[in-house]
Amino acid sequence: MDENKFGHDQSQYERPNLPYRCGRASLWQTPCNNGPETNGTCGGIQECTPFLKNDRWECRRDKRFGGPCEEGPGSRGECSIQRPPCAPRSTLRTIRGRLVVLAVGVVLALIGSSLALDPSVGSMISISNAGPLSKSHAKFTEKVGCSSCHAAHGTGPIGWIKAVFNDSDLSSQCVNCHSFGGPSFKAHNANMSPERKVADTQCVMCHLEHSGSTVSTKSLTPEQCNSCHKKDFESFEHGHPEFSGKYPYFNRNSIKFDHSSHLNKHFENPKFSDKSPKSCIGCHTITLSDREVRPNIYEVICASCHDSQIKKKELILLRLPELMQNLIDQKSLVQACNFPNAHAKMEEEFLSISTEQPALVSAFLLNIPDDDPEAYEQPLQDLILAMAEESSVPFTELIDSQTETSMSKRLLAGLNPEVLKRAACSWGLNQEYESPSEAKFGGWYADMLEVRYKTAGHGDPVAKSWVEFALAVSKQQDDEDKASRAVAMRDQILSVKDGVGGCVKCHAITEVKESSGGTRLVVDWGYKNEDGRPYVTYKHDDHIEILGAKNSCSTCHIVNKEVDYMASYKEFDAGKWVSNFDPIRKKTCMQCHSETQINLECQNCHKYHFKPSFKKDMLTVKAEHPSSTL
Amino acid sequence: MKIQQGFSLVQVWRYVGLASLLLLVTWQWTIQIDSSLGISALASGWVLFGVLAFLALFSIRKRLPFMPLAPSAIWFMLHTVGGFLALFLFWLHTDAMGSKGFYGQVLTILFYITSISGVIGLFMEKVIPRQLTCSGVEIIYERIPGEIAAIREEVESLILKCTEEVGTSTLAEHYLETLNWYFQKPRFFLNNVFGGHLSQHWVRQQCMILERFLSEKEREFLDKVYSLAEKKRKIDFHYALQTLLKTWLLVHIPMAAAVTAMVIWHLILIMVFFV
Repeated sequence: MDENKFGHDQSQYERPNLPYRCGRASLWQTPCNNGPETNGTCGGIQECTPFLKNDRWECRRDKRFGGPCEEGPGSRGECSIQRPPCAPRSTLRTIRGRLVVLAVGVVLALIGSSLALDPSVGSMISISNAGPLSKSHAKFTEKVGCSSCHAAHGTGPIGWIKAVFNDSDLSSQCVNCHSFGGPSFKAHNANMSPERKVADTQCVMCHLEHSGSTVSTKSLTPEQCNSCHKKDFESFEHGHPEFSGKYPYFNRNSIKFDHSSHLNKHFENPKFSDKSPKSCIGCHTITLSDREVRPNIYEVICASCHDSQIKKKELILLRLPELMQNLIDQKSLVQACNFPNAHAKMEEEFLSISTEQPALVSAFLLNIPDDDPEAYEQPLQDLILAMAEESSVPFTELIDSQTETSMSKRLLAGLNPEVLKRAACSWGLNQEYESPSEAKFGGWYADMLEVRYKTAGHGDPVAKSWVEFALAVSKQQDDEDKASRAVAMRDQILSVKDGVGGCVKCHAITEVKESSGGTRLVVDWGYKNEDGRPYVTYKHDDHIEILGAKNSCSTCHIVNKEVDYMASYKEFDAGKWVSNFDPIRKKTCMQCHSETQINLECQNCHKYHFKPSFKKDMLTVKAEHPSSTL
Repeated sequence: MKIQQGFSLVQVWRYVGLASLLLLVTWQWTIQIDSSLGISALASGWVLFGVLAFLALFSIRKRLPFMPLAPSAIWFMLHTVGGFLALFLFWLHTDAMGSKGFYGQVLTILFYITSISGVIGLFMEKVIPRQLTCSGVEIIYERIPGEIAAIREEVESLILKCTEEVGTSTLAEHYLETLNWYFQKPRFFLNNVFGGHLSQHWVRQQCMILERFLSEKEREFLDKVYSLAEKKRKIDFHYALQTLLKTWLLVHIPMAAAVTAMVIWHLILIMVFFV
């Protein structure tokens, strides 16, 4: 190629930075010498612009393009070489500039439309939408929209400018709905001791939203846990500490169920073998199990063997004891009982119809010795007269005088005043009381020389109340004699063999400290959930599903036959309890949970929050916030 | 005066090393922030924003050729290394997953289009100039239309001269039916892009078909036409490859501008709603 052809004096200098290029060149024709004007019009209609000099028009064609032409300019100064104009085209640079404007324009249009559109209509195509929320958050924010969490949303340009210079504080919005068992912004929602110097936390440190409906905001990584915990470790297999010596049997069971004796003795007994469960799931409900596999209710798993024992338990409220003399005002008695022929009998020499001792309950209530007729006959006969006159009222008064809060209503529930009165009348006349009917289904009844209560069955409220009463008064007495009578009454009521409070054969009694500094005994009537370790979780159901329901329990829970399980309940101190299972060791879990099999991350067994819950007014939040636009 | 034509391999590795160091430091920083339960995306986001701003400076630099702001080649290299750094920082910033929101997805798509077009452009900038040099012709892109027109005029004048001198119109008729199409404008664009020889075969075939019908004199004219066709083929080759060199920027720069707009919007949203 002839390089000289493009020499500085041979051709024009190309300027691709100009906005237009020659229209002829764009059609692959010979471009004109002048090129287009900067305003996009053709600059090559004529070869040159003639110059008027000394009244003569001179051709001014550039030397590069051949110099002055032969024809020269016309008489009016027009160039003699004329061409039709071309349509100049944009240069690549101009096209690029337009594309830049277009691209930025499209982005700005998207931003503008997203600001203008109603969020309910345009949220999916909103250029402000950071992404779909998790399923739970999406549901309750669908009406209120972004302002549920982002305070600056809908506040306009001024609000936005303010928000730039202020902390968004998203976490404080979270606790509008979420609540915890402790301070929301402390690690683990726990009040840690000041010397631990634990920094305040924010929800957004771990929980990030806008990752889609299928992504949980709850999932945390071991690294996040290790960020605070000084003992960081690689995995459960490598570095996780050994479980503590009692794991996971830390707290005393509320129900004294000796697995060892039941599994190895009672269930093997041919007498009960047809009623005994075939495996653990015979008693424990696995369908709704989580951290605990609760036993089924008493009626399903215990009643077949133990129900008949419970119905035999009776309480003796009052017994006519042996009396030395009749000290009852006969006139008052006759008047109270309306006995027309009673007076004649009273004139005979007194010979007590009973040779028994007073019942321990009434002995305690009257604070009388149960073995000294001289000491007890006056108050006891006064009580009988009062019963004849007012039925259960004197008992109510006696009971309520023993405790700070009234318990008589519960203790004497179902007691027929007429029965009590008639029995008192008979005993006042030194006669046995003949009961018109037997208490077949349990309840209060008077028979011969006693007022008794027969339990109706498991969970009998009166029996439970007497147990609580006996436990309460046994700890309250200052008087030594009365205290010994209270303990005697308590022991009788709680007697596993005969007492109405034989419930404590299975229900544990615990000594608890009171705020005043004293102690009191309470009965664990219900099944007690394991709540001592709020940050530990375990999914029984998942494990049972994999290992099988029948025999999988004994993989981890191994009965210890050597331990005297029941003996640890004799003292009321729950801390001295021993389980009748061997503690579970780390190696038990590692049979399956190793890095080569099923790996474990912190969150599989440990929960971060303490008692996470929702605030009551959470559901009303939606109604309070007006719907707003961005 | 010594004109700096390019840069040495040592320089390249020096800048790659610096970029790697910045990436490593940012990565460690995010790990440290994560381990203290901070929001590492903020840190990586600010670094990424800084790198993107630096990449945008290249465009400004090209508008200020009169300023003593280091040679353009150095800027180009820094832009290239910075582009790759931005890609890695983007993955670090988004956990290599990107956003699930429309806004984030738009930003992600724009960023990837810009990055991919940049990588393709870089590849072409490295490969095509060498091919152009090897073609044996040097021509400014803007002068290609004029050059093609000049060749066409030369060919047509040869055909006319042949008709006049030989007195037959065989070559002229054949030209009008076949080669005239070839000389009108650049042909076989895609074939030239991929380095094919289709145009050469095509011209040769047209000439071979005609050759046996021509006289000795006419063959001399045909040889001249063929040599002009060969020259035009080389210009076509230049046109195809230089077009690629020019037009990839039509994608890269508008997309980069859109990314810049989206990044600024992203920054506003983060500052208003998150931080």
